[in-house]
Amino acid sequence: MIMASPLLEIRNLFQRFPIAGGQSIEVLHDINLQIREQEVVAILGPSGCGKSTLLRAVIGLERPSSGEVLYRGKLQTGLNPSAGLVFQNFALFPWLTVHQNVAVGLSSLPLDDADRERRVRRVVDAVGLEGFEEAYPKELSGGMKQRVGFARALAVEPELLCMDEAFSALDVLTGETLRNEVIDLYSRKTSPVNTILMVTHSISEAVFMATRIVVMGAHPGTIRAVLDNPLPYPRDERQRELRMLSEKLHALITQTVIPEEPAPAAVAGARRPVVQSIPTVSMAATIGLLEVLENQGAMELFELARHVDLEFTQLLLIVKAAELFGWVSTPGQRVEMTEQGRKFLAADINTRKQLLNAKLRGIFVFKMVIQMLEQSETGEVPDEIILSQLALYFPHERPQRILRTVVAWARYAELLKYSSTRKVVYGFNPAKSAVTSPKNAEH
Amino acid sequence: MITDKPLERTERAFDWVDLAAVGLLVGLIYAIVTVAREWSGPLRPVADIHLEARYLPLYALFSLTRGVIAYGVSFLFTMIYGYAMARVAGAERLMLPVLDILQSIPVLGFLPGLVLGLVHLFPRRNLGLEIASVLMIFTGQVWNMTFSFYASLKSVPPDLVAVARLSRLSWWERFIQLDLSYAATGLVWNSMMSMAGGWFFLTVSEAFVLGAHDFRLPGLGAYMSLAIERGDGVAQVFGVVAMLVMIVLVDQLLWRPIVAWAQKFTDEDMGRASESWLWERLRRSRLWQVCSRLRGLMTYPPRRRAIGIEVPSPGAGHLRPWGKRFALGCIVAGVLYGSVQYVRLLTTLSGREWMHLLGSTAATFLRVLSAVALASLWTVPVGVLIGRSPPWSRVLQPLIQMAASFPAPMIFTVVVGGMLMFGVGLGISSVVLLLLGTQWYILFNVIAGSSAIPRELWEVSRLARFSRGQRWQKLILPAIFPSLLTGWITAMGGAWNASIVAEYMKYRGHTLTTTGLGAAISQATERGDFHVLAAAVGLMAATVVGFNRLVWRPLSHRAQTRFALNA
Repeated sequence: MIMASPLLEIRNLFQRFPIAGGQSIEVLHDINLQIREQEVVAILGPSGCGKSTLLRAVIGLERPSSGEVLYRGKLQTGLNPSAGLVFQNFALFPWLTVHQNVAVGLSSLPLDDADRERRVRRVVDAVGLEGFEEAYPKELSGGMKQRVGFARALAVEPELLCMDEAFSALDVLTGETLRNEVIDLYSRKTSPVNTILMVTHSISEAVFMATRIVVMGAHPGTIRAVLDNPLPYPRDERQRELRMLSEKLHALITQTVIPEEPAPAAVAGARRPVVQSIPTVSMAATIGLLEVLENQGAMELFELARHVDLEFTQLLLIVKAAELFGWVSTPGQRVEMTEQGRKFLAADINTRKQLLNAKLRGIFVFKMVIQMLEQSETGEVPDEIILSQLALYFPHERPQRILRTVVAWARYAELLKYSSTRKVVYGFNPAKSAVTSPKNAEH
Repeated sequence: MITDKPLERTERAFDWVDLAAVGLLVGLIYAIVTVAREWSGPLRPVADIHLEARYLPLYALFSLTRGVIAYGVSFLFTMIYGYAMARVAGAERLMLPVLDILQSIPVLGFLPGLVLGLVHLFPRRNLGLEIASVLMIFTGQVWNMTFSFYASLKSVPPDLVAVARLSRLSWWERFIQLDLSYAATGLVWNSMMSMAGGWFFLTVSEAFVLGAHDFRLPGLGAYMSLAIERGDGVAQVFGVVAMLVMIVLVDQLLWRPIVAWAQKFTDEDMGRASESWLWERLRRSRLWQVCSRLRGLMTYPPRRRAIGIEVPSPGAGHLRPWGKRFALGCIVAGVLYGSVQYVRLLTTLSGREWMHLLGSTAATFLRVLSAVALASLWTVPVGVLIGRSPPWSRVLQPLIQMAASFPAPMIFTVVVGGMLMFGVGLGISSVVLLLLGTQWYILFNVIAGSSAIPRELWEVSRLARFSRGQRWQKLILPAIFPSLLTGWITAMGGAWNASIVAEYMKYRGHTLTTTGLGAAISQATERGDFHVLAAAVGLMAATVVGFNRLVWRPLSHRAQTRFALNA
């Protein structure tokens, strides 16, 4: 590989977004990254780690709160004229034909009609859309729509092709085909595309496509690790190097989502929050995990994700929830059910609720809400007050999402109730006391 | 690249559509000349209206011209006001409430200012009067279009905005390709409604009395009002028929093709597409090919521009801070001056006049409520039935639309005459008149709501062996509630406005009137009593806006959070 000068450089980039109530959340924290020519860089991370935000800052669609982006050594102020972007959900104009959609990006270039026509025809050919030029997007399948998305991005002959989860809205087989075609296009070197920056949550996609993989952690988004993947194309997922890299990435991501012990500062980059938040997953999925573990015995995380057909980071969040309740333990990359987990699974529905009720009372977020209820004279707390408290404790997370999970879990455990019309949280049996245990609350 | 399709197209001889187009062009030129002669003629406040049938095509032409021009003005207003409201930072906080109030002001509220001002501006030409009439029709058309455009602009998908920015579309390209295209579907439907709304007050917009002056412009509305005044039954029938013919023609020749064309702006592939025979013919004709080539020139203007310069996003930051402050200052000063003048006008009213107006408001309020309640009684069951059966709604929807476009005030006197024979006075029968004008809005929305109920829910209600009452209570009413609410809001707004023509009318040489705010407004206009008019219009606007804020808005919120089917 030729070590070219950096094409793109991100320096000390921070991104904050305002949320309701005059507060703001920090989405990206001190990002530093260099991208050289001829590279395929994949930004990999769990949902909510700000990887799409980072991509938009690179292109210039989003202005960073602080920090700078340099392109070919020059500070970038507006949109990057040499970048093309492929969107997750295609972003095609429904009222334009395939041909017109592809030509949209060309309208501002100093080309005459014949040149423009030639360019459109060339990219339409390159992505395999011949014959579809006069079709409207609504007549196309998802895979064909994304081909239009690629053709539109390629038509401007970008130096840097950016992809924002470009394959995740497609079915597995179509995604596979398109991934291969993009790599083909890149490695043939006949197209001007020589550098690709892609955002993905799929480890196998990153391993298969990228020459360098940037692993990000969430809350707030920080770069946790950067791994090289120099294997030449065409690649085969069964190759030993790729399998090893994939394992390494799984371990890395696991470490960012479920840290074994407080992460060392060198890796974490940001200070850890004093109190722990909760993984925003459903109770049904968490119990489902126990059922699977009971049938299958202890499993490797990676194997488990494949078995239940879940995205790896999503599975990690569920495992994290189960671990929070003491139902599983995760030595290394393994997931094992604990004695408590077995006991919970064997119990009937009412006993389950009792067990969970007791568990939730020990978790910080729930303790906080219960305390607020006890101090309230009406036995009710408006959700706004809880949301502002959550925003205070967890400045890198969306308080709405946490509250939604709190309510869902607490409803299941018969710990708290929530009225969506009055927007208040109240105890399960407010007549007796602010919060009762489920024994008293049986119907 | 040899295909036989384009060859066949170019070699086809003159299509009949092309011939028809040429004929249409000749007709159009004649029409423009006729209208231009009429408009530029010397001022004739009271045109001689002939009640013979042979004059009807000419009158229809005049009315249609006014309607179309008013629509053009509405479109322009919508583009500018809607765009500014959605895209200029901070503008909507002021512009949205202003639009809300303007919408609630009845057409007669605009009449004196428009007529006196414009006649003063063109003291010797008909033009001033014509513009006044056009603007009155405009006030019946414009508001819902503006609201629709604004709502569309606010919901343009952010990904498409990103594409437009990445593609460095110029402001104009972005407006055409993104904003206007995205808003097209909503705009087309609202344009149809607007056109119908404009016809509603045609009789008022073309013939009115203002103080000592009588104004009458040649047109269908004036024809009808004269026929009603003279009690000429035959002429009334002619007038109604002419109006219906005009509505059907406009629908078939204008709206159907536009609706069919506008389908390309919708995202989803609808199973049954709206069809239009005219659009099908047009699209295949040679004329259209020429047009689309011209359109191609418009969308991609050949231009050379250096790469890498980002076009500033429109709206925010466009105006210099001082310019913005200056504009804001002007607006505030204008509003202040206007309110002071308005309050001074109001203070001249005596306590008795205020009492009378408040009593009238209460009376009209009761009538409006009863009209909406009565209309709901029949439209809800019928609408649900129609909505449940796709074939029925396919057949009936266009017919209902046509019925809704017909300006109900044209047949008011027939209804009142009939009810007088049974000894029912205008106090009661005006409720029926309001109902005639506004029931369609409810029917429309109920049909839409009921056809959106998923089949599975009907099946569940059958499996659960719901009684008829249970089915209404547990399934139908909650499911159609959001649409019903929309219908009620529109119907009620319409009913308030319609009270102007329902509570006061000239009939066979007599003047029929009853206590009500609409009657108060009509009488004040006719007497030229601007103090009372200002107070009455203000009361009506305040009542409508207040009711919207206090009743409809909380209910809408509830409807969206609790009864939305896609929750």
